[in-house]
Amino acid sequence: MSVQSLYGVASLIATTLASLVPGVPGYLVTLLADLIFGAILLAASMINTIVLIWYERKLLGRFMDRRGAMHVGYAGLLQNFADGLKLFRKNTYMPSEADRLGFYTGPTAYMVSSLVIFGVLPISTGWDNGSLPLSLLLALVIFSFAPLFIFISAWSSNNKYSLMGGMRSAAQMIAYEVPILIAVVAVVVVSGSFDLTTIVMEQQNYWFAIPLVLALIVFVAGMLAEMERIPFDLPEAEAELVEGWNTEYGGMLFAFFMLADYLRALIGSILIVLLFLGGWTLPTYVPSALTNFPLAGIFWFMVKTYLVFGVFVWVRASLPRVRTDQLLRVGWLRMVPLALASVVLAAALVVVKCLPLIGCVPGIGS
Amino acid sequence: MWINMGPQHPMTHGLWNLRVKIDGEIVRDIDPEMGYLHRGIEKISEDRHYNEIITLMDRTCYVAGIAWEHLYIQAAEKALHVVPPERTLYLRVLVEEMQRLASHIMWYAAFVQDLGLMSPFLYGMRDRDLLLDHFQSFTGGRLTYEYMRVGGVRNDLPPGTTDRIRKTMDWLMDRFAEYDRLCLGSQIFRTRCDDLGVLKAKDCVTYGVTGPMLRAAGVKRDLRKDRPYAAYDRLEFDIALADTADVTARYLVRMEEMRQSVRIIRQVVDWLDHHPGPVMAANVPRWLGAPYAPIGHEGYLLKRHYSKGVGLSAIEEPHGEATAYVVNEGGEHPYRVKFRSPVFVNLSAAKSYLVGYHVADIPPIMGSVDVCVGEVDR
Repeated sequence: MSVQSLYGVASLIATTLASLVPGVPGYLVTLLADLIFGAILLAASMINTIVLIWYERKLLGRFMDRRGAMHVGYAGLLQNFADGLKLFRKNTYMPSEADRLGFYTGPTAYMVSSLVIFGVLPISTGWDNGSLPLSLLLALVIFSFAPLFIFISAWSSNNKYSLMGGMRSAAQMIAYEVPILIAVVAVVVVSGSFDLTTIVMEQQNYWFAIPLVLALIVFVAGMLAEMERIPFDLPEAEAELVEGWNTEYGGMLFAFFMLADYLRALIGSILIVLLFLGGWTLPTYVPSALTNFPLAGIFWFMVKTYLVFGVFVWVRASLPRVRTDQLLRVGWLRMVPLALASVVLAAALVVVKCLPLIGCVPGIGS
Repeated sequence: MWINMGPQHPMTHGLWNLRVKIDGEIVRDIDPEMGYLHRGIEKISEDRHYNEIITLMDRTCYVAGIAWEHLYIQAAEKALHVVPPERTLYLRVLVEEMQRLASHIMWYAAFVQDLGLMSPFLYGMRDRDLLLDHFQSFTGGRLTYEYMRVGGVRNDLPPGTTDRIRKTMDWLMDRFAEYDRLCLGSQIFRTRCDDLGVLKAKDCVTYGVTGPMLRAAGVKRDLRKDRPYAAYDRLEFDIALADTADVTARYLVRMEEMRQSVRIIRQVVDWLDHHPGPVMAANVPRWLGAPYAPIGHEGYLLKRHYSKGVGLSAIEEPHGEATAYVVNEGGEHPYRVKFRSPVFVNLSAAKSYLVGYHVADIPPIMGSVDVCVGEVDR
């Protein structure tokens, strides 16, 4: 097991700790390694999320001809930690007519369901101990839980604006889930696997973004809706719905929503990198100096993820919000046919096996 | 289901309440409630000097203060039989057009924010700041100016101002092209705004709707052309027109108006460079400049000898046609002051351009009306 990967680090720590106490059974060491891995993953994802918020604020600031956060820490890097601390100290109020169970479980489940996905996303080779054959499907399934929790918290808030936001969230889900899944089918057809690690490994010669550009477009648009960012942030459209489904939330519960939103943005960017941009690998024909240093996989993965998220920020800075009925129309009349076309293209690619300028598809037909 | 959009709501841009009856996402009925910002400006005016009322005018509409000063001062001058010198007329046109630019840019910023566009909001605020800097350089204020006086304006432009204004106008013309690219160039903007909030010309006339909303319906009506005041009859400009009567049309009309304002300002600064002169009339009553009301025998004499009169003025304010009526029954206070607010009328017609659209359409439609609650409630 190499120390290149995070699980390698975790299991190294676990073995070192176990060697201090003689006679520890092997399964306990594995369990300890898993726990340490989970703890590192949790910390890494949370810190990454907070840095992502900082990144968005800085980038958005530049798009808007201003500076963004700049006073707390170097270039405002600690601003969001300060904000988080402030929210943590705030009292959490619940409207007297609200439903207690739904009001508290909604944001918690939203947050937890977003965090769980990190457990199945591979970040580099040997990231997780053994691979899940259906990790892509699992990630997408957990990812699409969110509107349910949003709806629960919106309904239990007992506020008209919250309810409308929740309804919009549910309506929106129908519009984007179908095209996203069809677009993913195109990737699965070409790579021949639901395993994210295999999908990344299939992109050694070329990234799927090139032949499956239609699927990429559909997937990015769908992800924008899935993350509820402009132009598809209808459930929390602040112009007409105040804050949409999180109108009644404050303090730490609001922080849960905020964090989960950015967690989901991070996951969306990661999924795009994994499915279309070659994950942690670079194409085989780039100079080996670019990939031949410690933790190169994680480095390139982070670079790609932040670039993809930068595109989302760019979209947010330059597009207005669409309307619910327009989103439904775009989803069903534009994105579904495009996604279907991309599946047909993918199937054609598998039959032809080779593309001009790009090269041959490895592993297909074997 | 009735929902209250307001008095505290991101859509209102001020303090008023739009009660909306919704069926799903469709608006079935609306009921605008105004009056949350009523300060009794007309009544307070009856206890103030003619020049003291100017400070109230700045607060009538907080984004177009100097236009309201202009409106009031014209009526007051007619009521007091004061004729301002010619240079003053040009200075007033200059500040009114600059105020129109500032107000329209502020409208642009708020309107695109309602649509969810974030960057143009800050671009608008940035560019408006340049105009406020100019206002600060010759009035001292950035929002409430107190620049006009009965019989003229408080002071002339500081040296070099006209060149700086020319520079700003060049910068703004480039920015307007950028604004258009951000909005009209976006397919989402067009699908959101086309055929939205339609108020046809006939309904506009029936309700008394004025300003850019009326011109967006294709009615060629602009007081600066139809009943020229100040120096407008000596300046070249066109009336901005559109004919689809929807939100896009109102956007187009306002953008064209800004370009025409730049055209007017360029002519005015050229004129100002070549025609120096006094900025205060010679026949202003002495007590108008006094810090307190003259009392005793002096006050009595003034009241007795000063001639009575009424003044009516109407100007094309950035939001529409505003009217002021000032009754002078002698003495240092006006007997009665009455204003017509264009936005009040435009808002009152809200039912005919809101019902039938989606809840998500309310912010852009109300944004296209350009609500300024200060002047609605007065």
